[in-house]
Amino acid sequence: MKNLINLKYLKFPALFALAALALTSCEDVIDLETANGTPQLVVDGWLNNQAGQQSITLSWSGAYFDNSAPKPVTGATVTVTDDQGKVYNFEDADGDGKYVWGKTSADTLGHVGRTYSLKIKSGTDTFTSKSELKRVPTVDSVVYRHEKFPFEPDKGPREGYVAQFYARDIEGVGDTYWIKPVIRGKAVVDKGENISIAYDAAFGAGAPTDGLIFILPLRESITTDSLYSAGAEVGVELHSITYEAFEFLKQVSEQAANGGLFATPIANVRSNVINADPNGPKALGFFSTSAVSRKETVIDPEKARPDDE
Amino acid sequence: MKIKPMKNKLLHYCFLLLLFGTAVPALAQNRHTVSGFVKDQSNGEGLIGVSVYVREAETGVVTNPYGFYSLTLPNGSYTLVFSYIGYQKITKEFTLDADKTISIELADESNQLSEVTISTQKEDENVRGIEMSVNKVEMKTIRKMPALLGEVDLIRSIQLLPGVTTVGEGASGFNVRGGDVSQNLVLLDEAPVYNSSHLFGFFSVFNPDAVKDVKLIKGGIPAQYGGRISSILDVRMKEGNAKKREINGGIGSIFSRLTYEQPFAKGKGSFIVAGRRSYIDVLAKPFLNSDLKDSKFYFYDLTAKVNYRLGDKDTFYASGYFGKDVFGGGDFGFGWGNATATARWNHIFSNKLFMNLTGYYSNYDYNLGQNQNKPDAKDKFDWKSKIISTSIKPDFTFYITPNNQLTFGGQYIYYDTRPGKATFVSEGDMQDISLEPRYADESALYAGNELKFGDRISLQYGVRYSYFRSLGPGTEYLYAETEKGKRKEPIFPGTEYKKGDVIKSYGNLEPRAALNIGITSNASIKASYNRTSQYLHLLSNTAASSPLDVWTLSGINIKPEKADQVALGWFQNFSDNTYEASVEVYYKKMYNQIDYVPASDLLLNEYFAGDLLFGKGRAYGAEFYLKKNKGRLTGWVSYTLSRTERLVESVSNNDWFPARFDKPHNFTAVAIYDLTKRLTLSSNFTIQSGTPATFPTNRYTVGGIVIGNNYNGLRNNSRIPSYHRLDLAATLKAKKKLFKVGEGEWVFSVYNVYNRRNPFSVYTRINEDNPLKAEAVRYSVIGNFIPAITYNFKF
Repeated sequence: MKNLINLKYLKFPALFALAALALTSCEDVIDLETANGTPQLVVDGWLNNQAGQQSITLSWSGAYFDNSAPKPVTGATVTVTDDQGKVYNFEDADGDGKYVWGKTSADTLGHVGRTYSLKIKSGTDTFTSKSELKRVPTVDSVVYRHEKFPFEPDKGPREGYVAQFYARDIEGVGDTYWIKPVIRGKAVVDKGENISIAYDAAFGAGAPTDGLIFILPLRESITTDSLYSAGAEVGVELHSITYEAFEFLKQVSEQAANGGLFATPIANVRSNVINADPNGPKALGFFSTSAVSRKETVIDPEKARPDDE
Repeated sequence: MKIKPMKNKLLHYCFLLLLFGTAVPALAQNRHTVSGFVKDQSNGEGLIGVSVYVREAETGVVTNPYGFYSLTLPNGSYTLVFSYIGYQKITKEFTLDADKTISIELADESNQLSEVTISTQKEDENVRGIEMSVNKVEMKTIRKMPALLGEVDLIRSIQLLPGVTTVGEGASGFNVRGGDVSQNLVLLDEAPVYNSSHLFGFFSVFNPDAVKDVKLIKGGIPAQYGGRISSILDVRMKEGNAKKREINGGIGSIFSRLTYEQPFAKGKGSFIVAGRRSYIDVLAKPFLNSDLKDSKFYFYDLTAKVNYRLGDKDTFYASGYFGKDVFGGGDFGFGWGNATATARWNHIFSNKLFMNLTGYYSNYDYNLGQNQNKPDAKDKFDWKSKIISTSIKPDFTFYITPNNQLTFGGQYIYYDTRPGKATFVSEGDMQDISLEPRYADESALYAGNELKFGDRISLQYGVRYSYFRSLGPGTEYLYAETEKGKRKEPIFPGTEYKKGDVIKSYGNLEPRAALNIGITSNASIKASYNRTSQYLHLLSNTAASSPLDVWTLSGINIKPEKADQVALGWFQNFSDNTYEASVEVYYKKMYNQIDYVPASDLLLNEYFAGDLLFGKGRAYGAEFYLKKNKGRLTGWVSYTLSRTERLVESVSNNDWFPARFDKPHNFTAVAIYDLTKRLTLSSNFTIQSGTPATFPTNRYTVGGIVIGNNYNGLRNNSRIPSYHRLDLAATLKAKKKLFKVGEGEWVFSVYNVYNRRNPFSVYTRINEDNPLKAEAVRYSVIGNFIPAITYNFKF
């Protein structure tokens, strides 16, 4: 439910500024010293059913306030095996920690319904993980409506367009999805707070919304920090994810929203990559497989839906 | 059944208690009883806790919450001394040869700058009374203290007492001796208030103009109270002026207030009606453009009470509270509020047996939605939640002799909770995602006995037996644990219970005891022990408790919370009771404390119980308190050294971690100085340790998103900077009569005088414009000094 409220807070910043009355809350960036732990292996592996190259990136974790790019893990052996026994070898040709499978776009790794097992050998440690590639519904349409904020927003234009997509959750309880906005042909999620995930057509398992059209706050979640302008190329990528990946992303987004009066205590995000030696160093990150469906449009003011009443 | 032998034990205990208690007067000959009420001369309000001292017998009692006292003594001539802080003492000589009624009215001494001294033997409740770990703040004091935005606030004043902390500025509620916000029983005329906040926590729901008396019980909780494990905040409403019509009001920066009091039936009855409303929305309206024209943001409360005295033996009271916070704009709506109603009957069976019978109804609800009131909207969301409790509660006090007092009674509470009634409409498709209502009842029986041995020693002991039943209809699930600390999955199918089925029951025996040993005539040592249990739990995983948090009943998956507390203290008064001082140490253990899995889903989740973790808590500390009660300068200084920690399996490497509101050091000074008859100056100063926080030590990137990681997995591994703040206020009474009859006063206040940006929290985030840059942010709820002017009037 938090997502819903956040979204609405965004829509009425002025209102809440007023509600907070003269109470002058403020945020300042400060210096903070934190301890630094030993580097851990980080797995960044999000495979999908698109044709062509697939990649898994391995890196070392660094100090929290060290803003440089992560150090790559080189010389590892990375393989993925599906439940039909087919082995896919991932090679780090450039020595940059990006392990790639597939030289051309002729072959496809991911198939709905199959389960994929990851195996990484790095130094003396062996790490494994498993993920099922689940089904995804098609996106029916991407539409947009005109919006004018009552006050100048922090980012983007005051007047512009809110894009939303229409798709219907597949019948059967327990489908989980990652909804990614697509801007100029590229899926863009760069911040934890912009992660939009769905359990069936809404937010969680405890509230049944099986088989519905994705509910409104989720539909509009492809509009994130700012309004879109006329002519913008916008769209959506809908990724099927496992329930484990849903949990992972949920924890990441929760961690990103840990400020304010109603912050929740942050906890370490659970990885699904396991060291075969239970006493060995633990890995971070995630291995996931998704089916993807996609739709894009160009914003044409003529075709915008009228403002909400 | 397990409970039966326990119940028998209890009955046995009660019986012994009664036998012991009543045996004493049976032996005595020629005794009679003097009893009566003590009231405020100016308005006829009953005074609570007035000391009624028998000089010749060197003993005494205090008046109960209705102003009643009763003393049974051998025949003879006596002098009664009635004394109460802030009032002039009265002595009354009489001869006791038959049962007598002596009712007294005490006059306020607030307009006198110098103390009127009537030489009596030193008598004072702080040292002599059995109560320990109890703080009373007079409303007169609260009124004069500097307040945020000039709004006199009870809960914010409570937060300045020893042993009391808060999660942070603007957070709802308060934390007592390491307990969380939901472990305080907040009573308004005996009805529980489930959310004591307006505007997310900045102001409390109690209208200061309608409150008579506030008492915070942090330990040594007497047997008559139960249901929460940490503390009792007992707020009593004014009864209404029984002498003359009175109108009070004020215009502040947030609220406008108006209170009307009037006697009726020739002073046998009186009533009070008090209302407050925030009015910033009214002022802002002309400045809002069309998009925000229909914005709603206001909060209000209405408090009313009526009492009627029928003969000498019966008094009836009815009181109620109704308050709401409303926020919304466009298609969005959000609101919450409490409603309570209390009916009471005081009856004096004989001069020695006093009964109060209370019935109450208390309701807390909230709603959140979009297009809630538009039947045709294609996309809608509508969510309502509420908790209703209704209760009946008889309480008896038997004044056997001045040295032997017996209290007994019981309570029955019925709970009806609707954690979520909610529907989604997505493009015209409607889906009901409501949660099942939950029902339960809670009954309790208690007996307590207070004995005095000679002049110096008193003992209070008692026991409360509480019995809770989770009731059908409803569906209950068991949960399978796959890994410690991870969400537990429900096992299907659940078990269906029908109406009238008892799903689960719990019984708890709660012993209570307190001892006071006088060392000298103005110093004593006190000790207490109490066990408490709690069947109602506030599910809240946020830093500050939010209005959306749901109160959940115990049941198959949630055991009752329990606590044991011991406290030991030294109490001493100086300079003819001008100063009272105390040092108390306490140790508290808490069981079945609730924690949550990471990224828990507590709202509108049928399987929320799978997201709960259980652990224990411990809290200990020392409280130093020095209070000046008399003279032109009054106020207090307090220092608390304390710790509160939790132990939850799988959290923080299975080790103890500090609770979110753990503040080892907490110093407060409150001073009020009557400069002239017209001008009063006041100040608050507080300095406290920063609250604990969890910071990541390492980072990694997945899918282009930077994620923080804490390599040792410890929760609350760091502490944010300390908190300190100075507030000042001046109250100036107007020289001229208001419209020739009334009084007016101006209150000028400055909150956070030296403009400190006290952190509510420090958190880490990713820079808005550079997704690879991590930064630490200090979040201050109040980042400036806040001046305010309030005008109050009285007719």
